[in-house]
Amino acid sequence: MDATSTTEWECCWDRDSIAMGDCPHIGEGDEDLLLSRSRRILEKCCECEGFARDLIRFRDSGHPLAPIFSILHADYRRQKNQIQSLGAFLDTKTLEVRFLHELGSVLQSSLDLDEVLSVALTAITAGKGFGMNRAFLLLADKERHILKGHLAIGPRSAEEAGQTWHEIESGDQDLQGLSQVFRKHKLNAERDKFHDILERLTIPLDDEQHVIVRALEERKPLLINDAFHRQDVDMEFARLLGVDTFIVLPLIARNRRVGVIIADNFITHRTISEQDMQSIENFTFPVAFAIERASLYERLQEKVDKLRQVNLRLQEQQEQLVRMEKMALVGRITSSIAHSIRNPLMVIGGFARSILKNTPDNDPKRTFIESIVTEAHQLEEVLGEILTYSDALFPTCDFWDPNQLVESALRDVQERAMAQDYQCCFHAAEDLPAVYIDFKQTSYCIRNILLSTIDGLQNGSIDISNRAEGEHVDVRIVDSSRTLSEDELEALLTPFSETREMGSGLSMALSRSMLDKQNIPLVVIAPPEGGVTYIIKLPTRKEVSYEQTAGS
Amino acid sequence: MNRLLVVDDEANIRLLYSEELADEGYVVETAATIAEAVEKLAQQGFDLAVLDIKLKNESGIDLLQKIVKERHDMPVILCSAFSCYKDDFSAWLADSYVVKSGDLTELKEEIKRVLAKKAQRRSAEM
Repeated sequence: MDATSTTEWECCWDRDSIAMGDCPHIGEGDEDLLLSRSRRILEKCCECEGFARDLIRFRDSGHPLAPIFSILHADYRRQKNQIQSLGAFLDTKTLEVRFLHELGSVLQSSLDLDEVLSVALTAITAGKGFGMNRAFLLLADKERHILKGHLAIGPRSAEEAGQTWHEIESGDQDLQGLSQVFRKHKLNAERDKFHDILERLTIPLDDEQHVIVRALEERKPLLINDAFHRQDVDMEFARLLGVDTFIVLPLIARNRRVGVIIADNFITHRTISEQDMQSIENFTFPVAFAIERASLYERLQEKVDKLRQVNLRLQEQQEQLVRMEKMALVGRITSSIAHSIRNPLMVIGGFARSILKNTPDNDPKRTFIESIVTEAHQLEEVLGEILTYSDALFPTCDFWDPNQLVESALRDVQERAMAQDYQCCFHAAEDLPAVYIDFKQTSYCIRNILLSTIDGLQNGSIDISNRAEGEHVDVRIVDSSRTLSEDELEALLTPFSETREMGSGLSMALSRSMLDKQNIPLVVIAPPEGGVTYIIKLPTRKEVSYEQTAGS
Repeated sequence: MNRLLVVDDEANIRLLYSEELADEGYVVETAATIAEAVEKLAQQGFDLAVLDIKLKNESGIDLLQKIVKERHDMPVILCSAFSCYKDDFSAWLADSYVVKSGDLTELKEEIKRVLAKKAQRRSAEM
């Protein structure tokens, strides 16, 4: 049969136009090919099995041009395939460039280390990124000269992997979105999850035999295959990762070794290609710079914070200095006035006493002179307290025995207590730590509390105890004989309160003020059902204050 | 009879001390300034001196140091309105320290105590 003379060709190449359905390769959207013969032949017929069979028939016909047609057809198909694969490669590279651009913009704009790390590790492990299963980040500790596991990401089991990847797929988020979610909700959880591995991922930077250090020294990524059987991979390190294939990506910025990323396909065991390596290598440069920059920024922030704190402290100290100067001035004025009054007062009181001595008991003027003596004496006591108050502005602290402190105060009030038949019972605790106080002032305060308790009452009792409470020794003075209303309690602690007699009006407020100066709180508890408890919390360390430890 | 020297810049206080201490049986001489006190000390013998610390522009502590240096056998009682001098090392040279008060009981007791101590010391030396 002469194939060239017959019209019974299997393919439609010999027809100028065809109808829909005549060619099995032309469907909806390709209607223009029905009427364009040349385009139809190039786009469809060359791939059609019918056309191939027609060519065989033509070759079999013995026509001299037939072999040429077959050669041309085969070469055309080869070149077309080549163009198609180049196109696919170009598409992949375009996507990669876009991805790197997106990544680069995020990395360059961020100064937050956690954000940078989240973006970097998400990019390595996300399907839309490099699609690795796990990634470990080790950062260089320049002071300790080691690489230390800092963060890891990825599943630890197939089950977890399935769940995570399903969530990511259904979420349909871009890389930035994924890294934001990771940073916000998963960063710490992942760190905890890989805590056991990260803790042990410590590599000395001077261990030049270690494959990780080698990657850093050579400044190029390494693909490690068959890790369990290689001489240059530490067996313990390979066991720790649990995979025999992984890549090591050195992070170097401006000749400084920032760290290393180790990535693997722990779950899927997908082969890591050279192309994967190349793509990831391009990505490591911006990551290294971003980490370096964010770390520097973090350190800078720390320095700024420290500077701010120092500034604040300096400001506080300046204010305190001004306050102290004012207080010193008040103290000097108070002291000066008190001294000016004391001498004439002493003369008045002294002569009144002299006159009183020589005045007969039945002299009607004796009562007046007695009043002068009493009033002068009371004024002298008030002056004494004012002078003590001005002295109290600057306490001198040292370490003292708390039991000795209470005993000293008790000795001072013993005579008055006995005169009023008052029982003072002191339970001294053993092995108490020394307390950091101004002994004179603190003893004065305890004496004042005891005197104000005894004052005006007969046959009462006071219970005093010492006990260690954390970084303090509590001195508790319990007076069960007295009941104080809220107003009385407030008046007790207010200087120059009008509800108290002049002589003792200052003493409790002065005690409180003295203790305040030493950062020692005086707590007074006066429940309505009766009894008054005074608690003085004495610090056992120089820097301890009540606010720091009790938080109130 | 024991002879006392009272040094105070306040005339009323000198008068008060003179009266009160004379009633106790002492022979009392007074001085208003350090110079006057030094002069009296050079002329007469005293068993004890009562010194005020703040003497107008002078300091009783200076006089105390002079007495301790030249008349170390004569006890001195410092008497001042400044209770804070109790904590001053230079005041520790004195045999006693009394805060000024219209009630002279404490001062009188201290004078008795210090003189008794001096007498004891003397008899021990003999």
